[in-house]
Amino acid sequence: MLTLESVSAGYGRVEALRGVSLGVRRGELVCLLGANGAGKTTTLKTISGLVQARSGRIVFDGEEIHGLDAPEIVRRGIAHCPEGRRVFPFLTVEENLRIGAWTRRGAEIAADMDRVYASFPILSERRRQPAGTLSGGEQQMLAIGRALMSRPRLILFDEPSLGLAPTAVEITFGIIKEIRETGTTVLMVEQNAYGALRMADRAYVMEAGRITLDGAARDLLHDAHVKQAYLGG
Amino acid sequence: MEAFLQHLLNGLLLGGTYALLGIGLTLIFGLMNVVNFAHGEFYTLGAYLTFAAASLLRVNFVLAIAVAILGGSLLGALCERVLLRPLRGESIDTTMLVMIGLWIATQNGELLAWGGVAKSIPHPFPTAPIVIGPVSVAPLRLFVLAAVLVLIAGSHVLIHRTRLGVAMRATFQDRETAALMGIDVGGIHTLTFAFGSGLAAAAGALLGPIFLVYPSMGDLAALKAFSVVILGGLGNFAGATLGGVILGIAEELGAGYVSSGYRDAVGFVIIILVLLVRPSGLFARAGRVG
Ligand SMILES: Nc1ncnc2c1ncn2[C@@H]1O[C@H](COP(=O)(O)OP(=O)(O)O)[C@@H](O)[C@H]1O
Ligand SMILES: [Mg+2]
Repeated sequence: MLTLESVSAGYGRVEALRGVSLGVRRGELVCLLGANGAGKTTTLKTISGLVQARSGRIVFDGEEIHGLDAPEIVRRGIAHCPEGRRVFPFLTVEENLRIGAWTRRGAEIAADMDRVYASFPILSERRRQPAGTLSGGEQQMLAIGRALMSRPRLILFDEPSLGLAPTAVEITFGIIKEIRETGTTVLMVEQNAYGALRMADRAYVMEAGRITLDGAARDLLHDAHVKQAYLGG
Repeated sequence: MEAFLQHLLNGLLLGGTYALLGIGLTLIFGLMNVVNFAHGEFYTLGAYLTFAAASLLRVNFVLAIAVAILGGSLLGALCERVLLRPLRGESIDTTMLVMIGLWIATQNGELLAWGGVAKSIPHPFPTAPIVIGPVSVAPLRLFVLAAVLVLIAGSHVLIHRTRLGVAMRATFQDRETAALMGIDVGGIHTLTFAFGSGLAAAAGALLGPIFLVYPSMGDLAALKAFSVVILGGLGNFAGATLGGVILGIAEELGAGYVSSGYRDAVGFVIIILVLLVRPSGLFARAGRVG
């Protein structure tokens, strides 16, 4: 569904990605592991068009999408749930969801919003509240709900568990599993390697802008290097 | 008491136009981080367009004002596309200098086009004042007050109630995430600049017929707009609205009870006090928002 071929990207003189190649098949949950600064966020930003690739190809559903801007990429069916959640703090919960559906028109939007509220009743209770007043876990639900409002076929999650209380982490992972079970493909970046590998089909490990390891998530859970570097020995 | 009510009414009218000026300036700053020194020129433009339409082309007065607002918006959009878009990502000083350049160029352009002699805009309203209880007001002023209120209410609805308004506020708050939602951030910038310029042109189009129209009339208007923005807090829509009304009323009261020579001074004394006591503005909230 999504293929990156030798993608390089960076910021000014910083080279954040040095020839990254990876693939995500339809219906898969793939996770991308790596230390801080490895280039995981940049990989997701390059896919969603916030950062432009300097070389290489990105193909989504058979079409080349590198060079397109972020709004066009959402329209093609990729939602990006960014690091740190990035809900719009001064918009209400409902307005955040409405903005999630910005690329769409029509009556189905209201039905989708009801569906999000049904999945996350707490958001429904707080629909008139500014998003900045929600707890971290609630903001993560809102960020996920907002991403779903664009009806994506592929969702990119950047460290969804970051900074959340343990129960909120569990809830968030549960939601992501559910999203994948309803047929949406997921590419997820996580620091919580153990939790991520347990729910993923496959995983890639990234170091200093390169993919250094990949395989079935089950196998990586038992890989000596992964164990030592990301699973705490 | 009667004099007080009269001042209050006049202050409300003046303050409403200050609010229009301030809202435009504060939105442009809040969204684009551009200090628009040319803001007053859109005010002048609004007045001259109304003069041209009403006096030269003999267009219906209300239509002439609408033409002026539309003209101001279109020119604002053009300025954003031609001057500001290529400078996106440059420092605030760079865009400020460009806007100062635009200010000087347009003001001299107006001088060249219309000459330095002040013009008056003909209007269809009778000059005899309407007496409402203790206060009397010229019908033209009543019309202007009504138009100002409609424009402020309309702006409020646009920003707080429409799909476009939600996108504008989202872009204010986090432009990268706004782009991830599919919002055309560049388009929002153009629209916001056009909207802000249109409101400034509206203020000029509405005050022009009450006072006179001359090339440097925008300078004082720009100063008022900056005062309003400082009063209300940068990027704060409600603050600009209230700030405008407060400034207008304070000026009228100052002119009425102290001396009319001190009219403009009153406003600036308030600004200095606000900057001393609450540097982020009277109505500052955390962060800047529509
Ligand atoms: N906006 C930026 N400007 C300059 N350098 C950046 C920027 N964002 C990230 N980098 C650099 O790019 C590299 C990869 O960063 P990132 O993709 O955020 O890593 P990760 O998400 O894996 O922690 C790091 O060296 C980081 O310092
Ligand atoms: Mg990161």
